Amino acid sequence: MAERGLDPVRLARVVAALTAGESNPQPSMCAASAAVMHVSGAGLVLIMRGRTLGTVCVSDSLTESVEEVQYTLREGPCVDAFRTKAPVLVPDLNRLGATRWPGFSAGALALGVRAVFGFPLLIGTACIGALNLYHDQIGDLSDDQMADAVVVAHVAGWAVMDWQSVAGPGSLARQLESSDTHRAVVNQAAGMVSVQDGVTVDEALMLIRAYSFAEDRPITLVAADVVGRDLRFG
Amino acid sequence: MTREQLLIDTFVGLADTLVDEYDIIDFMQTLAERGVDLLAVSAAGIMLADTEGNLRHAACSSEQMRLVEFFELQVEEGPCFDAFRDNKPILCGSPDDAALRWPRFAPHALDAGYHAVSAVPMRLRSQVIGALNLFSSHTGALNQEDLGVAQAMADIATIGILHQRVVRDSRDFSSQLELALESRIAIEQAKGIVAEHNRVSVDRAFEVIRRFTRDQNRLLSDTARQIIDGTISPSELPREAHRTH
Repeated sequence: MAERGLDPVRLARVVAALTAGESNPQPSMCAASAAVMHVSGAGLVLIMRGRTLGTVCVSDSLTESVEEVQYTLREGPCVDAFRTKAPVLVPDLNRLGATRWPGFSAGALALGVRAVFGFPLLIGTACIGALNLYHDQIGDLSDDQMADAVVVAHVAGWAVMDWQSVAGPGSLARQLESSDTHRAVVNQAAGMVSVQDGVTVDEALMLIRAYSFAEDRPITLVAADVVGRDLRFG
Repeated sequence: MTREQLLIDTFVGLADTLVDEYDIIDFMQTLAERGVDLLAVSAAGIMLADTEGNLRHAACSSEQMRLVEFFELQVEEGPCFDAFRDNKPILCGSPDDAALRWPRFAPHALDAGYHAVSAVPMRLRSQVIGALNLFSSHTGALNQEDLGVAQAMADIATIGILHQRVVRDSRDFSSQLELALESRIAIEQAKGIVAEHNRVSVDRAFEVIRRFTRDQNRLLSDTARQIIDGTISPSELPREAHRTH
């Protein structure tokens, strides 16, 4: 389907929906994606060489929480869509998710998510991240939703490329600079914990992730405690 | 199939190839072949300007036309050159007319059996990137309607080629994006390291990192990476964020 190219009418409709009346489409892109797709939530994540580099947008606060679970545990539809460069379809998270992603499934189910879908953001043959779709009801995507999702992922990927193309070398696209794309507080905390524990920052990041999972507390809040010096490691 | 149907088919087919990485040579070849069907001409060819602005052969519907285009490039005159240089359609309906306009090119076209030779520029806004050549074994130039179709085909070919250039450049953009995001991450991590080591707030840590970076005439992301890998120790950083006068 994707290899044969995209239905131009569908493409035009999605582009129109994703860019409607917005001089800065970044904050609304995920909300528009969820609306076009008729799902509860949508999130766009940038991953390169297996590393999660940032969140472009989330459609709502619930999706933000689900994305945070995925970021903390480094497992979920987004990670798999990136790795396989193919859609990841889990229409019944309760039944199908536990073996595939034990931690992520538990976290997402607790937040009320019942079905998850991931689509790679492909730029030519390269993958720069994934589009995640979350739904509060069990069920497959219809053929129409599937086709729309492929188009949304395509348009979103190219939109990010388009933003970056005017930023120039060494700079980050204005649209990505204006939001907390790269999770500043978590990375600050990783730097602090690396000194506290005498480990590398990557190891410190793992410690924070593990603590967040064990304490069942969002990683952003754990990191804020570290930066606020209410929590020390080591 | 009606002409209108053929047109819609062609444009939808071409638009279909525009959405991802694709073979630009194949794309132009398809365009040249469709041009022959749509415009009832004998042959169609595409010439593109290289980076120095010299026209080069890109695609052709027939081997015979390729030879004529080859001669056109050698003598550096003909409908394609005029369309490219003047950024306007060139219509020539007879061998006599051709002989007057292009004395060196005209005999080659006639030898190959082409009696009418036309060309339309390939342009996007003010940028002209090449021209579409349309040769016919019958005399008589393209009419107004044909000309409109020919220009539309040249336009979509232009979009296709420019799109392909964007696809090519996108590899650079995605590595720039990766680098820019990684720099942001490194700066935040370095702030944390300095804040903890020097027992200051992260804002204060950022100020001293910036001060050091400015004094040493470096890049912020380089300083950050060296703090992370231990090349720069936080104790080497200035105690004061602002220079004291």
